[in-house]
Amino acid sequence: MVIFDKATKIYEDGTRAVDRLDLEIERGEIAVLIGPSGCGKTTSLKMVNRLEELTSGKIVVGGKDIHSLDPVELRRSIGYVVQEIALMPHMSVAENIAIVPRLLGWDKKRIRRRVDELLELARLDPARYRFRLPDQLSGGQKQRIGVLRALAADPEVVLMDEPFGALDPISREGLQNELLELQNTVKKTIIFVTHDMEEALRMANRVVIMRQGRIEQMGTPDEIQDNPATDFVRNFIGEDRLANISPDSPLDILVQEPILRVKPGRAASEVLDMMEDEGCETAQVVDKNGKWHGMALLWLLKQASRKGLSAADGLTRERKLLIEEATLRDAAEMLADKDLPIPVVNETGEFVGIVTQAGVARLTIGRLTRKRREVKD
Amino acid sequence: MPDQKPLLDLFLAYIIRFWPRILSLTWQHIMISSIALAITLAVCIPLGIYLTRNEKAAPYVIGVANIFQTIPSLALLGFLIFIFGIGNDNAICALFLYAMLPVLQNTYTGLKNVPKHLILAARGMGMTEYQILMRVQMPLGLPVIIAGIRVATVWIIGTATLASAIGGGGLGRLIFSGLASIRNEVVLAGALPATILALVADQALKMFQAHADPKRRALRLSQKTETSADRP
Repeated sequence: MVIFDKATKIYEDGTRAVDRLDLEIERGEIAVLIGPSGCGKTTSLKMVNRLEELTSGKIVVGGKDIHSLDPVELRRSIGYVVQEIALMPHMSVAENIAIVPRLLGWDKKRIRRRVDELLELARLDPARYRFRLPDQLSGGQKQRIGVLRALAADPEVVLMDEPFGALDPISREGLQNELLELQNTVKKTIIFVTHDMEEALRMANRVVIMRQGRIEQMGTPDEIQDNPATDFVRNFIGEDRLANISPDSPLDILVQEPILRVKPGRAASEVLDMMEDEGCETAQVVDKNGKWHGMALLWLLKQASRKGLSAADGLTRERKLLIEEATLRDAAEMLADKDLPIPVVNETGEFVGIVTQAGVARLTIGRLTRKRREVKD
Repeated sequence: MPDQKPLLDLFLAYIIRFWPRILSLTWQHIMISSIALAITLAVCIPLGIYLTRNEKAAPYVIGVANIFQTIPSLALLGFLIFIFGIGNDNAICALFLYAMLPVLQNTYTGLKNVPKHLILAARGMGMTEYQILMRVQMPLGLPVIIAGIRVATVWIIGTATLASAIGGGGLGRLIFSGLASIRNEVVLAGALPATILALVADQALKMFQAHADPKRRALRLSQKTETSADRP
C-alpha cells in the first residue's frame, strides 16, 4: 500500500535524515517506526504526505508515485494524526472531525452523518460531544477526536506521529487498545511513529527499528523480541522492557551475583573470616556442579565454628525463591520481612543468584528517574 | 467679560445656536477618520499577512511604521503639506501613516502567534495556504488584530482634530477657533463630540473583539446548535 523505494531526505545543512529507505507496508497493516530521536522516523512519515519532500528515491502510495500527485490532494487522501493533537480550538468537535470532508466538498448531510458515525465508533455519544469545544474535553478524548478526524474521509492510509505521546500512562494504554479495536473495524494501513518500545510492540503488525536514517531491524514484535539483530536493537528493547516491569514481573531483572560464594566443604571458621573481610553477613554455598546447598548466616556460622563444624552446618535452606515462579512482589515481601539477601534457585536446585534490598532500591530509583509509563497490574 | 456666565450655560447656548454646524463638523470628522481607517486596514492587514510569509522583511517594514508613529503628529501633518498641499487629503494621509503601526504589528503578531502545530496539522490535512490563513490563522488571530484596530481607531479620531490646523475639516475647527478666540465653550463643543466619538468607536470595537473571540464564537455556535438539536 505504501512503498518506500530508496527514499532519501537530506536537509540543507547536509544532514541525512533518511538514507535510502526501502520499506513496503501492506494494506491493513500497522507498521510502527521506532528509534531514538533523530533516527528519521518522523521525517519518513512526513515524506509520505509530502510535508517533507524527498531528496531522492520514490514513495508510492496506493500504486501512485506521490511525486506525480498534487500535495494538497494527496494530503486530503491520507489521514494524519499529530502528537500535539492539534484540534482547532475555535472549532467544535464536529467541525474538527469534518475538516477534511469539508475540504473535499461533501454535502452537509453526509458530513453530519459521518461525524455521528465516527463518534459512535469511538463510543462518544454524538448528542453530547458533537458541539463540545476541544477545551471541554479530557486529554484522552481530545486524542480520540484527533484519530477520528484522521479517519473522517475514510482514507486508505493513516499517518500517526506519536499520537499518544502527550497522554498520561493510563489513558495512553486505554487509547492504544481502543485504536487496535477500531483498526479491527476500519482496517486501515497505518504508519505509526513512536519512541516507546512498549507501545510499538503492542500496536504493531510490524516493527521497523530505525537508526540514523536507516532500518536497523524490521519484523513482527515477536521476531524483534526473540531475535534482536544487533546490540543496538537489543539495548533498545532491553532498556524499555525494564521500564515496564510490574509487581508481577518475573524476578530475573533483580537477580545479581552474591558477594561471597563458597564451596560446601569449607570450615565454618574459614567462611567466617571471609565474611569479615568482605564485610557481609551471608554467603551462598554452592558446589562445583552449581547446586545450591544453602545460605550461610553469620550467627549460625558462629555457632558452628564454636563447635568446630564445617560451613555446611551453619546454613539455612528455608529462605529462597524459585526463578520460574517468583515475582517481584514475592521478593519485595520477603525483603520487607527480613533484610537479608534472598537466594534464587531453579527447579533443579541450581543456584541462580541473589536478590537484595539494595537491588530493589536501585531498580525502583532507576524506574522513577526514567519517568516512563507506570506499571500496570 | 464673556466669562461671567458659567461655562455650562455658554456651552449649552452655543450648542443650541450652532448645532447644525457642530453636527456637520462631526460628520466631517467621522468621514475623515473612517477614510483614514479604511485605508489603514486595506493596506496594513494584507501587508501584515504578507510579512508573516516573508519574515525577513518584517523588522524593516514594522520599523518604518514605527518611525512614522514616533514623529509628532502635528509635525507629520506639516511635513506632508509639501507633498499634498493643504486640506483633507493631507490629513487623511498623515492619519494613515500615523495609525499604521498598531494594525500592522498586531496583524503580524496575531497571525504569528497561532501555534505552529495547528498550522502543520492543517497543512497535513490538505488545506491550501489560503485555507490555512482563512480557516485557522485569521479566526485565531482575530482578537489580537481587532485590538490593534481599536488602538488605531482611537488614535485616528483623536489626531483627526489636528486636520483643521492644515486647512482640513472636522471637529478640530471648533477646537482651534475656540482656542484662538479664547472661548472655552467653543473648544468644548469640538472636544466633547470628538471624545464621545472615540469612546463609542472603542466600545463598539471592544464588543466586536469579544464577539470575535474564537472560544466565544464556538460557544455561541454550540449553544445555538445544541438547542436546535434538542428539537425533534
